[in-house]
Amino acid sequence: MTTDADDPTAEFRKNQSWLYDSTAGGYVRKTAIGLTTALMSLFILFPLYWMVVTSLKTTQEIQQIPPTLLPVDLSFVGFEEVIYSSIQQGGYTGFVESTFGLEVASSIDIDVLGLIFNSLKVSIAAGLLALVLGTIASYVISRREFVGKNALMSLLLASLMFPGTAIMVPEWELINTLDLFNTHTALVLIYGAMTAPFVVWLMKGFFDEFPDSILDASRMDQCSPVETFLYVIVPMARNSLIASFIFAFLLAWNELVFALTLLSGDKATVPPGLLTFVQGFNTQWNVVAAASILVSIPVLIGLAYIQKYFVQGLTGGAIKG
Amino acid sequence: MTRVTVSGLTKVFDDGGEDIVAVDDVSFEVEDGEFIVLVGPSGCGKTTTLRMVGGLETPTSGNLEFDGTVVNDVKARNRDVAMVFQDFALYPHMDVAHNLGFGLRRENNDFSEAEIEERVKDVAEMLEIEELLGQHPAELSGGQKQRVALGRAIVREPRLFLFDEPLANLDANLRKTMRTEIDALQSQMGITSLYVTHNQEEAMTMADRIAILDAGQLQQIGAPEEVFNNPANTFVAQFIGSPNINLFEGRLEPTEDGFRVTESAAEVEFPASLVPADLDPQSVTLGARPQDLVPVTGPGEADMTITGTVSLIEPLGTDAIVRIDTGSGPVTAMVTGYESLERGDELTLGIAAKDIYLFDTDDSLVKPRHYEMRTGDEVTA
Repeated sequence: MTTDADDPTAEFRKNQSWLYDSTAGGYVRKTAIGLTTALMSLFILFPLYWMVVTSLKTTQEIQQIPPTLLPVDLSFVGFEEVIYSSIQQGGYTGFVESTFGLEVASSIDIDVLGLIFNSLKVSIAAGLLALVLGTIASYVISRREFVGKNALMSLLLASLMFPGTAIMVPEWELINTLDLFNTHTALVLIYGAMTAPFVVWLMKGFFDEFPDSILDASRMDQCSPVETFLYVIVPMARNSLIASFIFAFLLAWNELVFALTLLSGDKATVPPGLLTFVQGFNTQWNVVAAASILVSIPVLIGLAYIQKYFVQGLTGGAIKG
Repeated sequence: MTRVTVSGLTKVFDDGGEDIVAVDDVSFEVEDGEFIVLVGPSGCGKTTTLRMVGGLETPTSGNLEFDGTVVNDVKARNRDVAMVFQDFALYPHMDVAHNLGFGLRRENNDFSEAEIEERVKDVAEMLEIEELLGQHPAELSGGQKQRVALGRAIVREPRLFLFDEPLANLDANLRKTMRTEIDALQSQMGITSLYVTHNQEEAMTMADRIAILDAGQLQQIGAPEEVFNNPANTFVAQFIGSPNINLFEGRLEPTEDGFRVTESAAEVEFPASLVPADLDPQSVTLGARPQDLVPVTGPGEADMTITGTVSLIEPLGTDAIVRIDTGSGPVTAMVTGYESLERGDELTLGIAAKDIYLFDTDDSLVKPRHYEMRTGDEVTA
């Protein structure tokens, strides 16, 4: 038996703890971390899971108490109703019936494809508007010194801090005065204005980090200012621009209150459109869930494609390229 | 192929209401095909001078001429000048081939795609980076980036090369290889070049002439041997040469056949032939290069000896930098055969009178190192 006094490695084994320095402690730690992660994932993913399961149940099963975790009686009625109603509303009934020999009949009358199209139109336009305004503003704020710069930045930050609906009434008045009521332009303007401050903050981070020597190099390479902007700055800013665009796009895609109050009829975007499925006691939740899944597909596909740029854009300054 | 004339060039920056003079009335001329190195400590204005020549900064006053034409108001992109930056400044989103060809594709140049590819290929071959043409800057090592940056400058065959500390971000070995290459490349192409560095060794090895700047002012411009042996003032003497020159305050008195300088711990006699001027008694600064100081066994073995205790030995292989503490302060010498030395040893260093520099009270040189003796002078060395 060696004592600490004659064990030469003793001084390297100070401050031992059971949790960190024994095999058993290691297992306990890993189990605790794993369980916590699993619980958190469950908590976050459960609503999504519930949406998918609900879309695959029959109306009776949805109303059953206690609810079932997995659909006992698998049914695609929800999806059928949504797709058929789109086909009906789009006026393709005759075409689909003659081509696929399907009988198209839906108990609802909402054009989901039309909603998606409206939303894409509004969201892309709002995203581009925020991008153009925000990028130009952030370039100037980052590269030029002027009086009131800090105040301006604080103001932009403050504008992100209160809900847009708080200024609903004046905006409603403004839209009315501009005679833009029930137009997509109104939404594009409002969403663009709501997201531009975020774009300014994000792009300012990018421009602050932008190496001056690259701009010098492009001048020595005989670039005009426009050429420098087009061939050097924009390509280098690509990731940050994409991240900004996605942010603005998603906000416009999800926004309900303005869309609900400013639009009506066939101008509606996805969020108010989905809301029309919810009809008190008669709500067909499987249809609502199926419609929600269908409308999120285009966004999911788009995001999956540009997701890596999004992460790179947000962490742009931190990781050297 | 351009002669550059810089006359009275001044740049004043406005830093929050406070004027900062970065470059103060600098004038010099760069001959066609010459390699000039601007050297000086950080903040001496060397980079600002270079940037003004390139057109990246506008001079506050003074003139800049290319072949006798004032170019103060000519845009950077119309000056036909190429620059290599310290951080390489490669375009991260383009591969090497496009980095090299980027300048050639601009409107000022009228090249076809085939010509551009041809030139890019030639330059890549010259710099041995052909296999990197398809890669992006992020995939390159520091030395490779440096070669690409160099290639981007030479591919256009500009009238003027500007180098802004191009080797500062490289490791020591690579720096030595690259400086030889840049030097060779420049003499081969014969393009007038201005090269900025804070590294005096780089300046000495590469330059046709060295311009030494301090606090925005040009201290001296001359060939490497000239600034080493004939420094205009103590600043230049200290800046050029490594390790730093030893300086002592002393008193100069004329004697019968020359001059005697007395210093607190030593004295030295100069034959009149070694001092190029008739001097009145005055305070002077003596300069002794560490390379010129050699260990001696006692006084009388050299024109000037100084004794002290060894306080530091930095072995460099065959030589060592040895510092001794003397009555006149610390003295540094390059000593060969230092193995027997130990800290605390008593050591006497000697130097020949011809190797000593003398500066007068106005800090200008009165006796250079190795002053060329007049014919008929008696040589006692």
